[in-house]
Amino acid sequence: MNIEKGKITGQQLLFLIAGFVQGSVLLIDFTVGITEHQTWMVILVGLAVSTPFFLSYVMLAKRFAGMNLVQINDMVYGRFLGKVVSLYYIFFFLLTLSFNIRDVGELYITFLMPDTPFVLLLVVFTATCAYAVSKGIEVLARVSHLFVFIGIFVIISTFPLLLDQMDFSNFLPFFELPFGKIFQGVHIVSSVPFGETVVFLAIMGSLNNTEHVIKRTYSGLLIGAATLLIVAVRNIAVLGKTQTIWTSMSFQSIRLIDIGTILTRLDFLVGIAQTVLIFLKCSLFFYALAVSLSQLFGLKSYLPLILPLAGIEVVIAATVFQSPVDHAMITQNAGIIYSIPLMFVIPLLSLLIAKIRGLPKFERGKGT
Amino acid sequence: MIFLLLIYALIFIINVPGLVKKKEWRELTFFSILYIIAFTLGLLYVLDVHIPSPMKGLQYLIVDILGIKYQQ
Repeated sequence: MNIEKGKITGQQLLFLIAGFVQGSVLLIDFTVGITEHQTWMVILVGLAVSTPFFLSYVMLAKRFAGMNLVQINDMVYGRFLGKVVSLYYIFFFLLTLSFNIRDVGELYITFLMPDTPFVLLLVVFTATCAYAVSKGIEVLARVSHLFVFIGIFVIISTFPLLLDQMDFSNFLPFFELPFGKIFQGVHIVSSVPFGETVVFLAIMGSLNNTEHVIKRTYSGLLIGAATLLIVAVRNIAVLGKTQTIWTSMSFQSIRLIDIGTILTRLDFLVGIAQTVLIFLKCSLFFYALAVSLSQLFGLKSYLPLILPLAGIEVVIAATVFQSPVDHAMITQNAGIIYSIPLMFVIPLLSLLIAKIRGLPKFERGKGT
Repeated sequence: MIFLLLIYALIFIINVPGLVKKKEWRELTFFSILYIIAFTLGLLYVLDVHIPSPMKGLQYLIVDILGIKYQQ
């Protein structure tokens, strides 16, 4: 029995995915420290590398229409091994959600509200996400296009204002960095914004119609990727070599806008857009976590788990890293390595097993 | 500390009466387990007790024990 009764349309899924990827705009900073002025290339290569894996998530969801991640794992790997695989995913959702909640806290404490207690920011943000999740996936899906348009509006409207500060020689020389650094950068990009879309395996079961789902989901991914690319190009062109010394390149480049001393300090726009988009991303992770856990426990509803999970998330977010530098260092190594199997191996393996065993038709034929 | 107690009292009031009324004992059991974990973590945090980071554990396992890492 699926735990979610709400249904979303293909178009809403498109905006959910676009907003989800846009929510990682600030996280490309993890890559910038390694790949510097070649980050734009890394994003393109990361997108190309992630595409087959992303399509495997969508094809898996399409094959097991109406089922969530835990149900798919149970059916493909059996009841025991399926639960172990699901626990691995739940652990990933739990940790990634806490990182993203922490990102918001760090964003506010560093740039917007430095005197506010850090934990208070985490509590308020997590409570807002918990409220959104309690309303169900339908509500989030219905407002997702607004979030995406806010993100696009901020990027498109600030880009021309920075044109006079851009120096396109900052992109040179091409292919300067060693292969190892490029490889690590591609791994970060294909894991953090793109690979994390594996969370949609817990959401796509709510699709009301799986027709054209591949086209729509991939369009969503492309919108998100285009946003990341524009931001990366803008930051490189404006900040050049200095971009690696800033905590947040997006904030720093937007701060440089100065049109006749009237249009200045527009970094609050980045703050608004990022808050809204990370809120969408966190809510989707939170929803996937609550639904997967409830399905694993065999509950009728995920609602009773939301508030205790929010409490756990706040404490993990507050204690998981000591500083933004610690955050970046761990994400650039262990953070992306531990999630390799669940992003790049298990979905493809599930699809292969499902094809070989003729799932789920075979199981349906048995009346299960 | 007072805020923590207030928040958790509120969470209890929001969830438990409804679950008891509907006799959803399974939901109540798993709610209680997560509630106790969340409250304990919150209490440790408020009391300034060091809470080990799961990422530090993973970092130790992957980088230090298994030796899988990117060269800096």
